[in-house]
Amino acid sequence: MDIWTKQTIQAERAYKSQLGPLKLWLKKTSDELHMATDRGSEGCVSPCHGFTQTSDPSPESLDWGRWVIDRDDSYVQLVPTMPDRGVVVRTESPVKIPPSREAVFFVSIPTWIKICAGGSKLSDLWEVPSVIRSNTWFGDTLSGELCYSLVSRARRQVEDADHPLHKAVCPVKICNESGHMLNVDRFCVHVEHLSVYGGVRLLWTNKVTIRFQGEDQISKLDYARQKPDLESQVKLLSPPRIPFKETLLKRSLGSFARLTDF
Amino acid sequence: MVSLAQVNWTKLLDIRTGMHIVALVVMGLPLLLGLSAAVGKATKKRLSAQAAMLLRKGIFYIGTLIIVLTILHQLEFKMGALLGAAGIVGIAVGFASQTSVSNIISGLFLISERPFEVGDLIRVGDTTGTVMSIDLMSVKLKTFDNQFVRLPNETLIKTQVNNLTHFPIRRLDVHVGVAYKEDVAKVKRILAEIGSENPFCLDEPEPIILLQNFGDSALEFLFAVWSTKADYLQLKKTIRQEIKERFDAERVEIPFPHRTLYTGLATEPFPIRIVSSGTTLPAVNGRPSKSRKTGN
Repeated sequence: MDIWTKQTIQAERAYKSQLGPLKLWLKKTSDELHMATDRGSEGCVSPCHGFTQTSDPSPESLDWGRWVIDRDDSYVQLVPTMPDRGVVVRTESPVKIPPSREAVFFVSIPTWIKICAGGSKLSDLWEVPSVIRSNTWFGDTLSGELCYSLVSRARRQVEDADHPLHKAVCPVKICNESGHMLNVDRFCVHVEHLSVYGGVRLLWTNKVTIRFQGEDQISKLDYARQKPDLESQVKLLSPPRIPFKETLLKRSLGSFARLTDF
Repeated sequence: MVSLAQVNWTKLLDIRTGMHIVALVVMGLPLLLGLSAAVGKATKKRLSAQAAMLLRKGIFYIGTLIIVLTILHQLEFKMGALLGAAGIVGIAVGFASQTSVSNIISGLFLISERPFEVGDLIRVGDTTGTVMSIDLMSVKLKTFDNQFVRLPNETLIKTQVNNLTHFPIRRLDVHVGVAYKEDVAKVKRILAEIGSENPFCLDEPEPIILLQNFGDSALEFLFAVWSTKADYLQLKKTIRQEIKERFDAERVEIPFPHRTLYTGLATEPFPIRIVSSGTTLPAVNGRPSKSRKTGN
């Protein structure tokens, strides 16, 4: 996917990139980079592409930002990263998992786009969400944490889904290790602990495993450290924002148990 | 009695003692300030803002007391006499300053109970503001219009204090009235859409949309939406405007009382009917009345 590779830009030219509903505009002056965003509807079906030179007049009505760079800097790169806080995934229709069964769900998580620029070494300049998600609260009203809300079809087969390039596929395995039927209508994924990998045709994250052990037990949560194995060739594009730690795991489990009544 | 006469002032003339005292003052106080600042900085992440402030002040005051006592000792001041006098003076001052003592004791309760902390937004009576400091005598607030408010601790112990930012999320209750002719399901749908589209409104806990009452001239709805405490003001600023705009767009009527005023010559006069003289008018207070001339 050459969309995420380093690209050369020239001074006094305008460039445009489309990533789902997000349109990124870029102009380079002698020692400054001017960037702006524009958004269409979420269901926008325009094909995704990296920065391409455009003769379209760049809209002056947008809120342009300016970044100081070196005169010789002539490279930019788009890097997909995970959102900066957890995502609460609500399934369109609840799924029931019988005791001692497990199921893998493929969730498409809209990435954030990091724009890097520089010469031989690139530095991070800006980060924007490809899709703006609404906020939701994870946990009870006394404690808990702020997350993004995502309604997902929670598909069982990755081939079923039409995954656009600005979304990363997160495989979530839910194992019902209790003796009761498990009703899955929502679950939280702490995406800030996930890396983004580029495959031949899709973006991937590490696999997440949730083990439900009973209503009065805390569910176990695990973020795989190895690359996803659903595509033969995957390359690390961005590391996790927050490295996974045991203490964070414990907190996630508590919140997960409260929210899902597991 | 203890007096300054008990201080051996001639000691000040002794170069060595004088140097000690000057060194204590010149080096001790800046060191103390530096130490309290360093401790405050080191404990910033581990302690709450209030606890860090108390620790800083405690170090400074105790250190200052030690310096003063050391200087008095250098001047050969009899500490026993001071402590004895302090007991008598304490009783006298205690009687004379009951309010201050009450404030101090209330302050200790506030510090131990911790109903709010530095940085919290609280409402006491008609005053709403951010807590700047919690001291032994009073709590200092900064209001939204940048006024400084000092509240005695005794007042805070006696009255109701609302801590608006104690919990991470808050609920905003919006009361909406619509005309009786409107479709209740349609109103609920519009309000739900407004909640889901507002960027400051949380998806969960879900907004509460409730037909609350049959009012005198309107169906009264409760629209309760949640936000983080940081976004509360933004939600408050936007949600009512969005309700008005969506209701206008969807032609949902918000009824309001109508009042028509007639003021002098700028408006038409009241309609009047001239009746002929001698006509009997309808009874007023049970008695028939004669016709009256009326006009503007």
